Amino acid sequence: MKKLILISLCSLLLISCQATVNTLDNTEKTMQATSIDTSKVSTDGFLKDRLAIIRVDKKQRDDGLLSIQITAKNIRTSFWSQASSWFMGDNPYQIAYRFTWFGADGMEVESAASTWVPLTVIPGDTVRLKAISPSAQCKDFSLAIRENEGGRK
Amino acid sequence: MTNKIQQLIALSISALLLTACGSAPKRIDATGNEGIVSIDNVDFKDWQIAAEKGIRSLLESGTLNRNDNRKNIIMISSVKNSTTQHINTRILTDKIRQALLRSGKALTTTAISGTGADDAASRQVRELANDPMFKQNTVQQSGTVIAPDMSLSGEIVQQQNSLGRREESYFFFHLSLTDLTTGLAVWEDNVEIVKQGKKPLLGW
Repeated sequence: MKKLILISLCSLLLISCQATVNTLDNTEKTMQATSIDTSKVSTDGFLKDRLAIIRVDKKQRDDGLLSIQITAKNIRTSFWSQASSWFMGDNPYQIAYRFTWFGADGMEVESAASTWVPLTVIPGDTVRLKAISPSAQCKDFSLAIRENEGGRK
Repeated sequence: MTNKIQQLIALSISALLLTACGSAPKRIDATGNEGIVSIDNVDFKDWQIAAEKGIRSLLESGTLNRNDNRKNIIMISSVKNSTTQHINTRILTDKIRQALLRSGKALTTTAISGTGADDAASRQVRELANDPMFKQNTVQQSGTVIAPDMSLSGEIVQQQNSLGRREESYFFFHLSLTDLTTGLAVWEDNVEIVKQGKKPLLGW
């Protein structure tokens, strides 16, 4: 019993050292982004428990390019989630994402700069993954997100 | 004699163990994150991140849009290497150049660059004028090469720091696009990459 209490206390001390992000923003929004469904965002089950996709905004610009903004939040803020994240070494959480672009005919449009972009997401923090289509031919997109093993401590 | 055999066996086992520690070379995804991460050098991933962010910023800025149905002609000027490493900045400029072409917003010229012509052929073919070997009406005329409207340049700066065994490198990629008519910078942005690591207690 004593051991259990000791372990719990140690865990508590360790978790209290972990930083989470607290945010504050205005409730009456004036921004008018066009939100779309998230069926085109693919994440694995493991990642889904850690990173929540909050919204996907898409804007067709006057110059023909497509602007995308994905808002995601690290939802691992509870005590046990923090303990588990600390144990797994994924706090702060390291992810990598990549956008793929498609033309009106569904064919992939090659981009000169398509790469997995690493990103650190602190528990509780909201991040925005932004991209602009490589050309005006692009009418659709797909975003892939994965854990960035290379970025772990 | 027995001692010698024992020594030989021990030596063989050690050699075998050391050999077993290595790994066979393999190909990795050039767009993935499995590459070697070094603190002091700009790795291939750093170039890709710098290019991706630079291109996105340039396209988002709308600087390349024109109203006269003509595309901007961009020359690649120099990207100054202000790091302690020998690096070839062409990796960055080539990626940006390709992205600009694919975007359909601009054309790039190879007839001139910050370090002379990227492709000397534009000048060489005009030297064929009056060469009896060539049919003269097929030789490219002088005064037809289009001069650039804009110039892309930049600088890469590195700052190193260490505290105890912990080492850190900060790379600052600065890019700018200059309107050659006015000499004014119409777009500027930078990409920052920081890499940190800990030296092992023993060894290097």
